[in-house]
Amino acid sequence: MIRPHDSIIVQTLGRFLIPVVQIFGLYVLFFGQYGPGGGFVGGVILGTGMILSVLIFGHDASRSQIAKDILHGDGVGMLIYAGVGGLCMIGGGEFLNYSSLSIPGLEEASRRSLGIVLTQIGVAVDVAVTAVSIVFSLSAEEIIEESING
Amino acid sequence: MSHQLPAILFLLPLFAAISMPVVCLKHRHWSYRISVAVLTVMVLSSVFNLHNVVNYGEVRYVFSGWTVPLGIEWVADGLASVVLVLVSALGLLGVVFTGPTSPQALGGRIVHYYTLILLLMSSLVGIVFARDLFNLFVFLEVAAIASYALIGVAGGRALFAAFRYLILGTLGASLYLLGVSYLYAVTGTLNMTDMVERLPMLLNSKALVGGLVFMFIGLGIKMALVPFHAWVPEAYTYAPDSISPILASLVTKVALLAWVRIIYWVFDASMVIYGIQILLLVGILGALASVIGASLALAQRDIKMMFAYGGISHIGIILIGIGQDNSTGFTGGIFYLLNDAVMQAALFFLAGVAFCQYGVRTIEDMGRVGKQAPWLTGSLIVVGLGMVGLPPTGGFFGKWYIILGALEAGNYLSVAAVLLSTLLTLGYFVKLFESIFRQSPAQPDAPSGEIPFSCKLALGITSAAIMILGLFSAPIVRLLLNETLPPHL
Repeated sequence: MIRPHDSIIVQTLGRFLIPVVQIFGLYVLFFGQYGPGGGFVGGVILGTGMILSVLIFGHDASRSQIAKDILHGDGVGMLIYAGVGGLCMIGGGEFLNYSSLSIPGLEEASRRSLGIVLTQIGVAVDVAVTAVSIVFSLSAEEIIEESING
Repeated sequence: MSHQLPAILFLLPLFAAISMPVVCLKHRHWSYRISVAVLTVMVLSSVFNLHNVVNYGEVRYVFSGWTVPLGIEWVADGLASVVLVLVSALGLLGVVFTGPTSPQALGGRIVHYYTLILLLMSSLVGIVFARDLFNLFVFLEVAAIASYALIGVAGGRALFAAFRYLILGTLGASLYLLGVSYLYAVTGTLNMTDMVERLPMLLNSKALVGGLVFMFIGLGIKMALVPFHAWVPEAYTYAPDSISPILASLVTKVALLAWVRIIYWVFDASMVIYGIQILLLVGILGALASVIGASLALAQRDIKMMFAYGGISHIGIILIGIGQDNSTGFTGGIFYLLNDAVMQAALFFLAGVAFCQYGVRTIEDMGRVGKQAPWLTGSLIVVGLGMVGLPPTGGFFGKWYIILGALEAGNYLSVAAVLLSTLLTLGYFVKLFESIFRQSPAQPDAPSGEIPFSCKLALGITSAAIMILGLFSAPIVRLLLNETLPPHL
């Protein structure tokens, strides 16, 4: 069980920092198209933001609710990934061959761009969930148990 | 459609596994039905895939359309397709068998249990198809991690066995990875087809020899070759009864297949490095494994331990066949691999039913219930015939072709090892049958209840498969000879 942090400095800074961290995570995720970045790093940063809110405001705070909810979305990222891959296969190409992504009304360049963004979002979701669940399983076993048995 | 089959066969269990915790959040009992459905589709599509490969040639699949040295290539050739039919069929049978015998204490974890089984199946498909050394490592690791968790799922003594497997398995995977990195440093590629072209000039490079040795030791741990077999007996004995048939029949055999793939498809198998013929070394190790494994099995009292050591000795016999460097021996080895997988599954189904229904652990217990349980004793007799290698079963023809191959190569030591291990196998089955049939009739302790239908199904199908593999051995061996031989044989 993680309790709220005592220090007012940490609490106030956290209130400012966490949104910035999250926005930076999204930026890194989408910037992966053009430069360094991408799903894995973006996902780690997004996950770190949630971990930070749990460490600062405690496990029971309403701000930490999203971190607890996200534990249920374990397979969602992978399903996004699978969905993109499957659409490529339906379009007649190989798995994850974005040029045959079967979404109507798009040129090949936009199909490739969209395909890679979607897969990276999938990767980011999975990495964020994994990071949060590692912290929870280190700190409080019963949350994991709840999510298994719940 | 059919050119997508390798990917579909892999992605189907993988994504079913991953979506299972979400789908079965509210309805736990769906997990069993979903796994059976997915594995049934897998069996059908693997048979379809085999049919395609036999009729229209091998299928090369390049993920996301990147061309070969850059992208990840999977090849569904004859060998992969044949083994895949075996893997998916035994997986389905194992899951069907699981229904009533799965540990009830798992509660909500039952969903994760089936998730892990499907993950294991998908990683086995990956090992069978992958033509990329690093990809092979990834799938070996996924398979191993799923197995650790599945063995330890029951808790208690199994946790210790799973931890031991984890330590040894991780060591094996690390050694394999080290070997791959040596080869990568020397050749600059990970793709098997690409590597074949770059290797001939490098045969005396020390890095290459080192890499090959590391890979062999790593895969040796995974396939339970004799000096590295310590994790096997305990892991299979204390694993839940529902999971040891799948693990015992598939995981070690598929690791052996990965080694065959590397030594025959990447390296020219007949190569001589520093005056040592690599395949001769494999044959000698196989001979040692087959004799030592069988003698250790003879010393066991716990039936599961006995069967596990029997499996270890059979890995040795398969390696003897593979190591002869002629088409007869190779075909015999692969045919024996198929037979051995079915026999191991049958033995552990049998041990599982015996323990769940009658509380049988040791040979003496088996003697106590043997006569009251016709299903058990009947299938034990069939599997015993197969393990010893008597004519109507597949085990006989496997050993027959292996011995023919060894005679063809003039390797009389290998012939002697196969025969000696057969005698020892006969020894431990005689021990088992003696305790069943020599029992005095004045023991009317009635068996507790009827065996569930799904257990009868698993026992019946595996026993029938052992006989069918023997009765139809001629067409199967012809198929193997035509389709599965490596390029230079």
